[in-house]
Amino acid sequence: MSQIETFYDVMRRQGITRRSFMKYCSLTAAALGLSPAYVPKIAHAMETKPRTPVIWVHGLECTCCSESFIRSAHPLAKDVVLSMISLDYDDTLMAAAGHQAEAALQDTIEKYKGNYILAVEGNPPLNEDGMFCIVGGKPFVEQLKHAAEHAKAVISWGACASYGCVQAAKPNPTRATPVHKVITDKPIIKVPGCPPIAEVMTGVITYMLTFDRLPELDRQGRPAMFYSQRIHDKCYRRPHFDAGQFVEAWDDENARKGYCLYKMGCKGPTTYNACSTVRWNEGVSFPIQSGHGCIGCSEDGFWDHGSFYNRVTDLTQFGVESNADKVGLAAAGVVGAGVAAHAAISALKSAQKKTQSSKEEV
Amino acid sequence: MTDTRLIVGPFNRVEGDLEIRLDVSDGAVQAAYTNSPLFRGFERILVGKAPEDALTITPRICGICSISQSVAAARALADVAGVAPTPAAEKAAAMLHAVENLADHVTHFNLFFMPDFARPAYTSHPWHADAVARFLAAKGSAIHAAIEARAGLLHIVGLLAGKWPHTLAIQPGGMTRAMTARDKVRIASDLRRFRRYLERNLFGAPLEAFASLSSINELEGWRTGDVGFFLMLASELGLDISGRGAARYLSFGAYPTNEGPLFKRGIWQNGERRDLDSSEIYEDLSRAWMLGESRHPSSGVTVPDELMREDAYSWCKAPRIDGHGFETGALSRQIMDGHPLALALAGEGGVRARIVGRFLETARTQILLERLLSEIDPSGPFMQSVDLPYQGMGEGLVEAARGALGHWVQIRNGVIENYQIIAPTTWNFSPRDSAGTPGPLEAALVGANVKEGEETPISVQHIVRSFDPCMVCTVH
Repeated sequence: MSQIETFYDVMRRQGITRRSFMKYCSLTAAALGLSPAYVPKIAHAMETKPRTPVIWVHGLECTCCSESFIRSAHPLAKDVVLSMISLDYDDTLMAAAGHQAEAALQDTIEKYKGNYILAVEGNPPLNEDGMFCIVGGKPFVEQLKHAAEHAKAVISWGACASYGCVQAAKPNPTRATPVHKVITDKPIIKVPGCPPIAEVMTGVITYMLTFDRLPELDRQGRPAMFYSQRIHDKCYRRPHFDAGQFVEAWDDENARKGYCLYKMGCKGPTTYNACSTVRWNEGVSFPIQSGHGCIGCSEDGFWDHGSFYNRVTDLTQFGVESNADKVGLAAAGVVGAGVAAHAAISALKSAQKKTQSSKEEV
Repeated sequence: MTDTRLIVGPFNRVEGDLEIRLDVSDGAVQAAYTNSPLFRGFERILVGKAPEDALTITPRICGICSISQSVAAARALADVAGVAPTPAAEKAAAMLHAVENLADHVTHFNLFFMPDFARPAYTSHPWHADAVARFLAAKGSAIHAAIEARAGLLHIVGLLAGKWPHTLAIQPGGMTRAMTARDKVRIASDLRRFRRYLERNLFGAPLEAFASLSSINELEGWRTGDVGFFLMLASELGLDISGRGAARYLSFGAYPTNEGPLFKRGIWQNGERRDLDSSEIYEDLSRAWMLGESRHPSSGVTVPDELMREDAYSWCKAPRIDGHGFETGALSRQIMDGHPLALALAGEGGVRARIVGRFLETARTQILLERLLSEIDPSGPFMQSVDLPYQGMGEGLVEAARGALGHWVQIRNGVIENYQIIAPTTWNFSPRDSAGTPGPLEAALVGANVKEGEETPISVQHIVRSFDPCMVCTVH
């Protein structure tokens, strides 16, 4: 490993200033929810650790994850893609073509055996011996298995790699299959979302590079730091939900007023992601802020849970969180809020009864 | 040189996967066969779903033209209901769509097309060092600048539509978010910033100057910016006569409004423009691994041939009009819109013409965006109710960055009974049809120069990328 440069070396070579580098370290610490005391640690790690080679492969997908990745907020984050972590092999961005590209992949695997991270965008289709996604004359599933064999860890970018996404929607014509069902002997970090938020992607990678270990994962294999809260928990329209103020039609007065989108099919109450805190496109907005409900794109099976405009009916309420691994934090909030929460619960329950019964009428 | 057969692929720096088989003799391509090796089956997935779900599912066909898919789906559903979005929403949706197309053009030129000139094959040329410094894949200075500028431009989509890619805000009746006066100010500053990038880096001069070029002579006199650099390369490498197509062009008309599309619709054949009747379109399946007969997309079927029969070679269907394939994209749009420079390039129709078509559209789209912004009245309304009928048919025809995109939907008993999509690269990279007529790329590759010992001929790389292929859309 000694012949590999450090991140800092690579960044310096790209003409990135020390000042800019330190700023990146502090933003990263903030994004990861770490205290300012961690900033020098991150900086130190980046100055002394050899950069981690990354192989990024594409299966059945739409490239939206790459597209998201190269637009993360800090100007340096684009350099995370383009230089800092050298993407030693990436289909969409790299220079080589044809056999050269295949050779580059093989070289990278040989050179960094056991040390590289395999980032997978998309997933392998298994029907017809994998013939629905052919890369370099071979089914993608073979490339995936080959590249995974000597990887240190695997990152499943996006809903495709993590869960299957819309291409796996019934009847799943190609039998698109998430990565963890094909690769079973490596640590896998799922970073779901369609696509995942850019800052979440760079945050996960930076954490792994800095601390040289996997981030803490929840039971579904997602980094807890970004996927431990529901969109609903931090949604700026939440007060309207609690007050029973809902949009009933796209063009009604309540839509203009920015009321809660629950009745328009918003899946925020059952979706674990960072959209309502980190937001999108350099923090300018997120779907609910644009007046459309969340579709739950970071949840397993979101594409097959009935229409995207149907109301959520299995909504868990305060105090009855059935999935302790998923939440816990909402309960803590309730204890603190005491009496006020009690009133909210009653309002919430009655509001919900109404919506559920109207659902049955439909 | 003896007859050889080359398989070129996988191609990097294209969206999705692509493989091309070339028959080569006497140092030139004699025949080309385009294989789109990625099939996901969206048209089958949509069957039986609630019609509105098309608004969420179809954008996920493609992470880089997702707004185009979104607008096409919304238009198709609006067509079923016999309505159109409100005038303010039409303009706001046009802005979102134009921003995506503009971002795609800049991405294509800097990230996908130009890095080929930094290849070692060109080391002996005096301009090679400049090409490496500016466009070496993943490292060149132009690439960094382009990525940063484009992220800033896409703020507009984030602001109005919540997120990009895969926005949800575009609905058949309009937009879920009304544009406020404050948004207008923020968007104006994003647009100003992007104009500065274009004028400083890409054109090296005011956009209006490029948009007012009207002849090939004037074009060849352009020296500034990366545009000037490309034009110098083009004349030195003969990119004007490389990859020439059949000079048949198609555009569905970009950015539909109640006064008609902002860039006009039509087809170009035998040196003249005529109106397009979308009922003339059909998809030929004879050389695709698809079962069924040629049909208009409104009654089209998608049944993959699991045996992958020998005489077929791609998952891509072959869209045709009157037995001909048509090229589609920025050049086609600008020709149909009657821009004099585009008309002058219509006959040339090679690598240079396609790239210049994109330059022209980049300049004109930025100007168009500024105009749209000033015209939008924040008092709206931006949305109206749409009741989707229990049954009906509709079509949504729009222009993605790469060209004509059509959605055809049939609703029955309240659910989708059939959904067919023809994407731009389906037109451009179609396989042969029953008469053996090659698709536009296949035809454009014939005659491409192959040097002794070249396994991935550089001329082929330029020609393929000049179309800006989007393979994930192609088969979907």
